[in-house]
Order: sequence, then structure tokens, then C-alpha cells
Amino acid sequence: MNRLISIFLPLSTAVIFLVVWHFLVRLSGSDLFPTPMEVVRGIRELIEKGLLLKYIVASLFRVSWGFMLAVLVGVPLGLILGWFRAAFQALNPMIQILRPISPIAWIPVAILWFGIDDTAPVFLIFLASVFPITVSSMAAVQNMQLVYLRAAQNFGVKGPQLFRRVILPAALPQIITGIRIALGIAWLVVVAAEMIAVNSGLGYLIIDARNAGKRYDLVVAGMVMIGLIGLVLDLLIRQLEKFDEVKWGYGQR
Amino acid sequence: MDNAKSLIHVRDCWKSFPGKKPGEQVHVLERVNLNVDAGEFVCVVGPSGCGKSTLLNIIGGFFKESRGEVRVAGAPVNGPDPRRIFVFQENGVFPWLTVEENIGFGLMSRPAEERKERVTHYINMVGLSGFEKSYPRELSGGMRQRVEIARALAANAEVLYMDEPFGALDFLTRIKMRTDLIRIWQAEKKTLVFVTHDIEEAVQLADRVVVMSKRPATVAEEVVVNLPRPRDLDSPGYLAARDRIFAIMGMDVHGGGTGDPK
Amino acid sequence: MKLISTTFLCGALWLALITGMHGSLNLKWFAFKVPGAAAESEKFRIGFLPVTCHLTCPVTDFINQQVEGQSSFEPVRFSGWPELKEAFLSGYTPATFILAPMAMALREQGVPIKVVYLGHRDGSAVMVHKDSKIYRMEDLRGKRIAVPNRYSNQRLLVFRALRNAGMTIKDIELVEMPPPDMPAALYSKAVDAISSGEPFMGQTEIDGYGRVLWLTKDVWPNFISCVLAVHEDFIKNDRATVQRLVDGIASSGKWIDQSMDNRMDAAKFVAKNYYNQHPRLLEFVLSKPPDRVTYTNLALRKPDFEEIEDLAREAGIIGGDVRFEDYTDASFVPEASAMNASAYEGLKGGEVPPRK
Repeated sequence: MNRLISIFLPLSTAVIFLVVWHFLVRLSGSDLFPTPMEVVRGIRELIEKGLLLKYIVASLFRVSWGFMLAVLVGVPLGLILGWFRAAFQALNPMIQILRPISPIAWIPVAILWFGIDDTAPVFLIFLASVFPITVSSMAAVQNMQLVYLRAAQNFGVKGPQLFRRVILPAALPQIITGIRIALGIAWLVVVAAEMIAVNSGLGYLIIDARNAGKRYDLVVAGMVMIGLIGLVLDLLIRQLEKFDEVKWGYGQR
Repeated sequence: MDNAKSLIHVRDCWKSFPGKKPGEQVHVLERVNLNVDAGEFVCVVGPSGCGKSTLLNIIGGFFKESRGEVRVAGAPVNGPDPRRIFVFQENGVFPWLTVEENIGFGLMSRPAEERKERVTHYINMVGLSGFEKSYPRELSGGMRQRVEIARALAANAEVLYMDEPFGALDFLTRIKMRTDLIRIWQAEKKTLVFVTHDIEEAVQLADRVVVMSKRPATVAEEVVVNLPRPRDLDSPGYLAARDRIFAIMGMDVHGGGTGDPK
Repeated sequence: MKLISTTFLCGALWLALITGMHGSLNLKWFAFKVPGAAAESEKFRIGFLPVTCHLTCPVTDFINQQVEGQSSFEPVRFSGWPELKEAFLSGYTPATFILAPMAMALREQGVPIKVVYLGHRDGSAVMVHKDSKIYRMEDLRGKRIAVPNRYSNQRLLVFRALRNAGMTIKDIELVEMPPPDMPAALYSKAVDAISSGEPFMGQTEIDGYGRVLWLTKDVWPNFISCVLAVHEDFIKNDRATVQRLVDGIASSGKWIDQSMDNRMDAAKFVAKNYYNQHPRLLEFVLSKPPDRVTYTNLALRKPDFEEIEDLAREAGIIGGDVRFEDYTDASFVPEASAMNASAYEGLKGGEVPPRK
């Protein structure tokens, strides 16, 4: 019964949303903004042309690489900043200055540095996601319960062992939360990153559809695909929270 | 007290912390003297916030005394030592490790065979067999404290410093834990320094109860509890010792209530 | 730890999978390579926007592919002027179609850019909403006009029209907007008038809410908006390639202007293979009227540029230091007599072969 409701409620919200959308477009009398059916036709057209898979793969490729690099850089950097006070004092102000700069502001720099192949969007996605990961890893170490540290020190654990056996696992739940937020941001940035003249991707689909005259159905189709894939990505990354080593960090659910 | 053969030797120990205002010092310990012999079970009691935990942390090597001398096994204390394990009030069991991984935590340098053997032995001793693969979040508070005690014993610690280890447990669990702790202590012949605010607990457990005064704390008096174990909580000896400690702490237990010093 | 090793393993597998898919679907890694064909990285990249001002760029590429079987040029499509300019500055595109005043300004700022040929003549318009009461420049007093960029010739066009109407820039409000967004902005009446290259102006006519206030050919004959520019280093190192490029642009320009059939063919294959637009749009702007935009008479002439310089100075986008001789290199311009239309025979049966 509860299971039925948990399926029925979000579905009915979606249906109501689509119906309202449809009639609002009809009532406005505009033929520029597409109805839901026109968007579905647009998506079908993209599938028939073989473009949808290509574009999804291209976007996922860029997000995957940018995001993975951000994890590989951000987590160790955050652990170091959280643990070594001198590193924190030296680097944190710089990080806090760079952090609020929108990836869109980096677009010119990215083009000048990397040209316009896949490197520039990967760089932009990396930039967008590396800071949340670093900051959450840093905070995770700083907020770590002192008792774990003391217990470990009591057993004579120190140096790299202390990092591997205590600091990292103690910080992991909060790091994963940061990673999850960062993946959302990375995916959010894909449209901006693909405004650079790459010639594939869901962001490119939207830009391209604007070039194509009155193809706002494809613009909305791109938006819908980005939203749906974002949902899937979040569901996937949430699986990390189910591992026994980190379950303790998320309260009773 | 014969200082020469005592294992833990605290002489004229002072401790103060920086206060909230700049330059201000909060004096927590003053002129504390304490000796604990090897194999002895000593409880430290005192009013809440008096500094008994601070004293234990100094002996355990987590804090440094401001003045005075603290020696354990003949050497000055310079930081925590794997031979003397702290059992924390807020539970220091690692939540990311299973019960057996936690208990084996201090044995990483040992061969796998020996590790396994010791872990199994102590899991049985603290009564957690069947829970080897469980994670701490799946255990009750009392079971988690058992894991922490087993972890200290498995690492072959000579001394256990216990900082109100049963403070967060419910009444019945606390009673059971006390009985089991005595059993383990008698089997393992460890030295135990046990801090608590619960006078009844102290009298039930200890060979000797060290009573501390209000802040800045010093040792007000030591009460030797020379009663056979398991202790009869209605015996005149037990009641006498208990009332004596209440009296030292300035409370009249016969005025009513159960004698909880809080 | 299980979590970390599992995550690393899954992450690595996923990266390998998605990289492989991206490589095969989008980068053509595993495609069969024609022996002797230039590798993608060795191709000479040319930046362009999907506007008619840059039409000769894709037409040249397509004709090369059809006639010679391959093209050593690679047109790279951008969506806006800033990205196009930055890709040129980074060296990614050694040649680019670019706004004439923007090329002048870049030169003035020390960028080694040389204009080697024109892209087109005419081909811009000012559009207003068909319901509006705007029929003359004077009616635009106090109104909002969208232009593509501060360096765009459309902005200069507005300055020129203001001057002729005895008005100043203070009488109107100019906003910058990417051309693809202009039709929607006019439709929603967010702006009162729009001006950019085609086909975005023609699109508002086809969709029935735009009205031509004027076409450039009527108010500024021989209007130049975009030029072909090349990085100076490339001129030094590889004159032959630049010459081939200019020749290609010249002969495809001549081919486009040769007949209406050619224009309609160009509309089809460019719309399908390069602009990703409906062919109807390009067909419309290339034919109604036929001289809305033209692709002949593309040699560099000093007086044309001096008029642009003059207006650009008034508009405050260049200083006094630009000289025609500095920012142009006319040595590649083919002799008019020696110039032939491309030998391309047009689409067979109206079918557009795919771009290679």
C-alpha cells in the first residue's frame, strides 16, 4: 500500500504538471513554445536520427571525466586541508575566492587555454565540482569526532596509517554527501560547458536548437533529458550511502 | 602509600586551562596526589565537572599537566601509549568497522592467525559471540561498551582507563556491565582506573575509592573498600563505605532518596 | 575498504565504457580511415556562425568534399561571437569568418589578424513586429533595438540610419543579443526592433510576426558585415593553404550567385549538413528577393572599409589607429578575370549526401 502511494503520488504530480503545461500553451495561443506532445515528438525525432544517444553519451563523457578528476583531486586535497593547519591557512583563502566564480565566467579562459574540443567542457565541469568536494572533505575532517582520533592515537596509529584507517573512514559519510551535491552541480553545468562550440551533447542540443529557428520543442526536449538523467545520476550516487562503512553517518533511515 | 612500587604515580599535579577572557586561567586541578598499584581497581568519584575526567586524561597522556609529576610504570607520561588504553564515555568504537574489526584494531601488526584467535577469545569474554560481523550502529549502547573494552583487552593493554564508561547506559544494563567488568578484571588481572560520578557504582566496583573535592579539585580522601566480591549491596560494610563517601562529599544520604549524588 | 575499491572499480569501468562510446559515436575513432585523407587534427579549421554572412564557408567545404572527395578544411560552427573570437585567439581556428569592425578592433589591440577576403555583400535587415506602428527610423525614437554585438556592423548600420534621420544614439536604446535569440525576443515584444545577419530576420517573416523595416541593400548598398580573417603567423608559414582557402571561397561565392538553382541547392545542403536549420529558412532568405544577400564582388576595397572605420570610430569601438594596410592583406584576392565559378554541378535529384 505504502509502495503504491510512493509510486502514485509523484506520478500524479507529473501528470498534473503535463496537463497544466499543455493547456497553458494552448490558452496562450503561442505557437513558439511547444506542448508536451510536441516535445515527445521532438525526442522521437532525435532518437530516429540517432542523435539522442550520441548527445547523451557526449554529455555523460564530459561530466564523467570532469567529475572523476574533481573527486581524485578534491578528496585528497580536502583531507590534507582539514588535517594540516598550515595547509589550511595557506590555501583556504584562495579556495574561498575561487569557489564562488561561476563556471560561465570561466568559459573565455577555458577556450583560450584548451581550444574547443572536449578538454574545455571537462575543465569547466571539473572546476564546478572540485570546490564542493574539497570543502566538504575539509569540513568532514575538521568536524570529525575527537574520540575516534584519540582512540586511534591510543593504539599507536599515526602518519599515513592514521589517514587510511581513521581519518578517511571517519570523514567518508560527509565526503560522500559532498560528492553527491557536486555531481548534481557537475550535471547542472553541462549546458553552460557545452555552450563552447563542441558539436555534441545535451547542452549543445539546446544551443543548436536555438540556432535552428523555431525548434523550441528540441530546446525543451534537451531540458527534459537533462532532468531525467540528473535524476538517474542522483539515484546511482545515492547507492554509495548504502555501504556498511558509511551507513552510520546518515542517521536512521 | 609505598610510592616505589606503585604503577601510576601522580605527585602535586596542577592543571589549568585558558579561560574565555584573554589571560584568564581556569584552575581545574590543584595539588593532586594519587598512586595506583598494578592489578588494583581504583575508582575516582567527585562532583560533576570537578576535574576527575581531566585527571584521567592527564594520566592517559591526552592532556599535559601544568605543574607536578605524572609517571606511569616509572616513566613520565608523554602522550597516549598502546599499553594503556582509554575507554571513552562517548564510546570510541569505530562505527565503520565490524565488531571483530574493531576488536582487532590494536592487533594490526600481529600475524593474522594470532589476531583471529585473540579477537574470538575476547568476543566470547565480553559475551558478543554471534555479533562478529555486526556494525556498531546495530548494537545497543551496552554492547558497544563491551566492544570497546574487548578492543582494549585484545590489544593486551596492562591498564584500562575508564571515563564514566557506563554513564550513558540504562539502569539494568549498568548493573549487568558492572558484574561483567568485575568478572573480566578478575580473569585478566589488569589495572583499572575508573572515573564515575556514581558513588554506588564506585563502591560496588573498587578496591579503593578516591574522592575528589569541588573545583579546583584535589583528593579529599581515599576510602579503601575491603569487601569480598561479589558484593552484597545490603551488607553493613558496603553501606558504611557508601555513607562515608557521601559524607565526604557533603551529602546526607539518610535525608531521603536513593543516594544518587546528583 | 569495500566502498572505496568498489567505487574505484565501477568508476574505472564506467569511464572506459563512456569514453569508448563517445569515441565511437562522436569522435569517429574506430571509423575506417580513407588512405591519404587528412587526419582531423591536421585539418585547417575555420570558425563560422550559422548565418548567411558565412555561407561560403560551409559551401566551400561541401563542394570540396563532393568534387575532390575530401576537404582539407574543417568548418567549426560557433553559436556566438565571443566564443568564435576566443577560439581564434587561442589558435584553435587559424582562420575565421568575423565581423569587420571586430577584426579592426582586435588588430588595434595587437592581435596579429589579417582580413584576406570578404564573406558576402548585404544580407542584413532591421525587423519590427508586424503589429507595431514603426515605419521609419524616426518611429524608433525611445524604442529598444537588439543588435548582435557591439562590434557588429548591424550596430553601425543603426548609427548610420540615426545619422541620416538626424537622430543620435541617445534617442534609442541598443541592447546586445545573440542572433538566435532575436526572433523569440521580437515575438514576445521584449524588443521593438531586431537586426542581425540572415536567416534569423527572414525567420520572423516566415513565421508571420516580423516585418522588414529595411534591408541593408536598400539603405547601405554593398554593406559588408563579415570578412574572412586569418592569423598572421599562418600567412607567413602556409601561404598556399590560405590561397586555396580564398580561392575556394571566391569560386563557391561565384557558384552561389550563378543561378537560383545553385542557391536552392546551397540552401538544402547547408541547412541539412551545417546549420541544422529547416531548408525553407535559407531558401527564403536566398531568394526573396534574390539580391537580399550576395556572394560576388568580394575583393577588399579601401573605401568600403574606410566608411566602416568612420562609423566604428563614431560608435566608440575603435580608436584612431587602425589602418586598412595593417588589418588587411589583399595579396590573396584572386583576379576577377581569372576567377571561375566552382565546377560543382549541384545536387543530383535534390538529394543531399551526408557531410563527411
